[in-house]
Amino acid sequence: MWKTESMGIAHVEMSIRQCLPPCQMKCPINEDIQRTNVLISLLPSDLGLAREGIFQIGDYLYDKNPFFNICGYICGICELECNYLKKGGAIKRRLLKRFLADAYAERLKAVEEFKIARSKEKVAVIGGGPGGLMCAYHLSKKGYKVTIVEASVRLGGALWLVPDYRLPKAVLQTTVDNLVRVGGIDVRYNSRLGTANLALDGLKDEGYQAAFIATGLPYPRVLTFERQSVEGQNLAGVMYGHTYLYEVSHGNIPADYFKGKRIIVTGGGNVAFDVARSARRHGAEVTIVALEREDKDHRDGIPADYEEIRGAWEEGIRIVYSRGVRRIVGQDGRFKGINCPECVSVFDEGRFDPKFDCSNCIDLEGDILIITVGQGPDIVLLRKEGLLDAQGRLDVDLLTLQSRKKPWVFIGGDVRRVGFMVEAMGEGLVAAESIDRYLRGVDMREGRRRDHEAYQIPIRKDYKREPEVPWMPPEDRMHFQMFEIGFTLEEAIEEARRCVTCGPCLSCKACVSIGFQKSLSPVEVDIARCSGCGHCVYVCNYYSARLISSGGKVVSETDMFRCKSCGMCVVACPSQARSMVGDGTAEKVAAVYSSLA
Amino acid sequence: MGKPKVAICWLGSCGGCDETVVDINEVLLRVAGAVDIVLWPVAMDFKYDSIKGMRNSEIALSVVNGNVRNSEQEEIAKLLREKSQLILAFGACACLGGTPGLANLAAKSDIFKWVYRDAPTVVNPRGNYPQTSCRVNGEELTLPEFYGRVYPLNAIIDVDYYLPGCPPPPYLVMYALSAAVENKLPAKGSTLAPHRALCDSCKRNKSKPDRMLIREIKRIHEVEADPDVCFLTQGIICLGPATRDGCGESCMNINIPCRGCFGPVEGVQDSGAKFVSTMASIVDAESDEDMARIVNQMIDPVGYLYRFLLPSSILQKEG
Amino acid sequence: MSKYKPKLVCFSCKFSWGYLANEEALSREIENWVPVICTGKIDATHMLEAFKAGADGILILGCAEGSCHYQDGNYEAKKRVYLLRSLLESFGIEKERIRMKLSTDPEGKGIRELVENMKTDLARLGPAKKGSERPIKARGGKQYG
Repeated sequence: MWKTESMGIAHVEMSIRQCLPPCQMKCPINEDIQRTNVLISLLPSDLGLAREGIFQIGDYLYDKNPFFNICGYICGICELECNYLKKGGAIKRRLLKRFLADAYAERLKAVEEFKIARSKEKVAVIGGGPGGLMCAYHLSKKGYKVTIVEASVRLGGALWLVPDYRLPKAVLQTTVDNLVRVGGIDVRYNSRLGTANLALDGLKDEGYQAAFIATGLPYPRVLTFERQSVEGQNLAGVMYGHTYLYEVSHGNIPADYFKGKRIIVTGGGNVAFDVARSARRHGAEVTIVALEREDKDHRDGIPADYEEIRGAWEEGIRIVYSRGVRRIVGQDGRFKGINCPECVSVFDEGRFDPKFDCSNCIDLEGDILIITVGQGPDIVLLRKEGLLDAQGRLDVDLLTLQSRKKPWVFIGGDVRRVGFMVEAMGEGLVAAESIDRYLRGVDMREGRRRDHEAYQIPIRKDYKREPEVPWMPPEDRMHFQMFEIGFTLEEAIEEARRCVTCGPCLSCKACVSIGFQKSLSPVEVDIARCSGCGHCVYVCNYYSARLISSGGKVVSETDMFRCKSCGMCVVACPSQARSMVGDGTAEKVAAVYSSLA
Repeated sequence: MGKPKVAICWLGSCGGCDETVVDINEVLLRVAGAVDIVLWPVAMDFKYDSIKGMRNSEIALSVVNGNVRNSEQEEIAKLLREKSQLILAFGACACLGGTPGLANLAAKSDIFKWVYRDAPTVVNPRGNYPQTSCRVNGEELTLPEFYGRVYPLNAIIDVDYYLPGCPPPPYLVMYALSAAVENKLPAKGSTLAPHRALCDSCKRNKSKPDRMLIREIKRIHEVEADPDVCFLTQGIICLGPATRDGCGESCMNINIPCRGCFGPVEGVQDSGAKFVSTMASIVDAESDEDMARIVNQMIDPVGYLYRFLLPSSILQKEG
Repeated sequence: MSKYKPKLVCFSCKFSWGYLANEEALSREIENWVPVICTGKIDATHMLEAFKAGADGILILGCAEGSCHYQDGNYEAKKRVYLLRSLLESFGIEKERIRMKLSTDPEGKGIRELVENMKTDLARLGPAKKGSERPIKARGGKQYG
């Protein structure tokens, strides 16, 4: 069994020119997707034997991303940019990670705590969701004394609102527990900023030198029509999705709570689908009313993930597209139905500004309305703390996440801009870097601009189709257990092997880390010999070999950021103009040949 | 000191190389005026004995064309080496073995059987074969020994410079001669021709697609080749990518693909093997059967890829 | 011929053959074994040199069809082998002397057996012809009647 050695570590620095595969670019924390895919593809096919390898891969991922196992359940953001998407289906990275996560679960408890002495300044992280936890973890890793100030009784923030059938609570709990343990992070529970005299200045007085505010979006957004709040939101039978999911997560909703009820859910995001599918599992007959169109590729397409839509559809949830809510109809103080005009456009020049055709209205009747049109931040608190600008927006530097009002304060995650879990985690990572720079007194911005370059999918003879991901049939999944059947080891290896590793070797080095090669051998072109015949270009699957004009001659060159050092251009070159520097193959061959005589 | 002495000699060759020396036209007269030609069997009457009588290294330059396949050729090659300061291997046969080198695919005995017995034009009822010596009227007559194989010149003697081609084009002959006269020759062992492959100067190079893939291999006489498009792109085997430039594209200009007479480019030993790798990379086969089908379209691969260089190939070169 | 032991050079791709094994230990077991990062890296020149150096056969073990880490290295190698085989026949080297197998064997347990099997077949063929011993066998040629 191979061992990954540190010489191959290629954690991507948040800096300068980054040439990455598109998946890694898309990932807000730039996870080393390609490298770990390659390593998965090289696991033994026996689970017992593979464990050691899985632990190595897991340790590597955990070091940067202590949430990686949760990502394996709910984050597939990288798949949206996978080059394979249009060639047979994105590489199922999320499922690969879920496979790792499940096998890594036993290891999680054994991950060693940071050895570094926490002797640096005290930092307060306000909010224990993914952004705050990520920031705390990385600051602690650098030796800061970190305290998480958490409003509730548990860490994890909005992750608790993800239904169990997508993310089991046990996974979330262990992940959070271990993160705090590994990081040696102090937590103050039941401590909401803005209450009981808990304010930023007070924290400063306590000796905290910097603070990261990641308080998320605690309040549900009310339903509006043409910028006016729709009346009737206080009727009995009207509730907010956020509240519902909160109650579900605390186990406060009994199994058949909605049996026989007709529920209308408004909203087209993933949370609306979480609500709808949870309600369905609680026995309801559910209709989703979304402003957006069915066609996801359209500018006004529905934002929920395709898998959510498919899941909801399979589970018998009716989806009404392109409809807003103009009126909530009540009777005797109880919700009775909604009046829905056609939504003709959702965005106006990128701004959310829905337009309706009120001559085309339908009425939908139901027993319960669950409004799930987003959440909002605690604006009152942010204003009181003096973090807003004149327009009432958070006054934050987008590169460093540093507050322009209070330089010792950094703000990120959903409170700044709503996004996926991993986007909040990414901001936590950025904030940790910023806080470190701030406290060390070094330049806040230098080297942090990220100039990404995308990679095309390599050329190959045959692209393979994505595997079918088995789900339990809808009739068997009307409960809160996981319905998605994860990869077996064999399937994981197969899928990891399907990854065409579009990214540059420099950002991967999987083969070097396990000793396949001593180093990546750069390909050199001897211009004096190159005739520009182009055969290197024809054989290169990575657009690395290419022809250029040099001194009036056509010659070939190698783009080292794209080159995989596979050596095929060297072989195809009829002029021996190409060679691999430091590649020992020729010597090895010569040694074997000399022993033949 | 008199004028520098120059010898021009042919070994196993067709005479085309001597012809190309004549093809430098009036320049030849100037050369003839500047040097003292001491041997040129094709053009003038000299005796080898007069060379034997010379001091070692008395000849400044010997231009030797043709390969070595018999004992006489070997003897003359060695004699010229002894008497010359510089030896220029001239033409594909001297440099690489040349087309006659393809005879190495056949054993000597088979060649004799064919040439003196089986060829349809042969009438040899007594079954006579050449002998190295025989007695006629009490006198011993000798013939040179026919060797088992063809050798390039450098397998027999040290060679200082190479000028390949079948034959070398007059302009390179002039360059070579003037470099020799003006003492501007490069390091010993050099080939007095461009270092790059023919594609470098080929006008058709621009016509290549972004990614060349061929599904059929065709022979030049089977198709009407587009005179402006790369032969390989048209599925016609052209050795240009693996062959040294310098021929002046004489084949290309009459719409014939490169056959490789200039031999491998600088630094490559076996351009036939290299061309296998090169060509394989552009074959677009769907299956194993398809691969076999396309490969089988290449008639006489060794004759095609080693037309001028078989005796210098990896598998044939001694040592 | 009973004493004749054929010499075989075995190239194998690291991404499919023996990547879970200890390479050093395995190379003590398998004579003349050259693991390479990709079979696409094996030049026709390498193969000719093997015969020149005295090999009687070459075994190339590549990734399973469609599984090359470098996309199509195994396919490239295969095309090369097909072309080279047809050339070698003219040199009097039988095409059976280059064998290629595309498959996966992470433990590399089967490599030795594949080598031994091929050696057995090579023993039946006898030693590869060297230099001038090679007979006339120009394919497609009618020049010898």
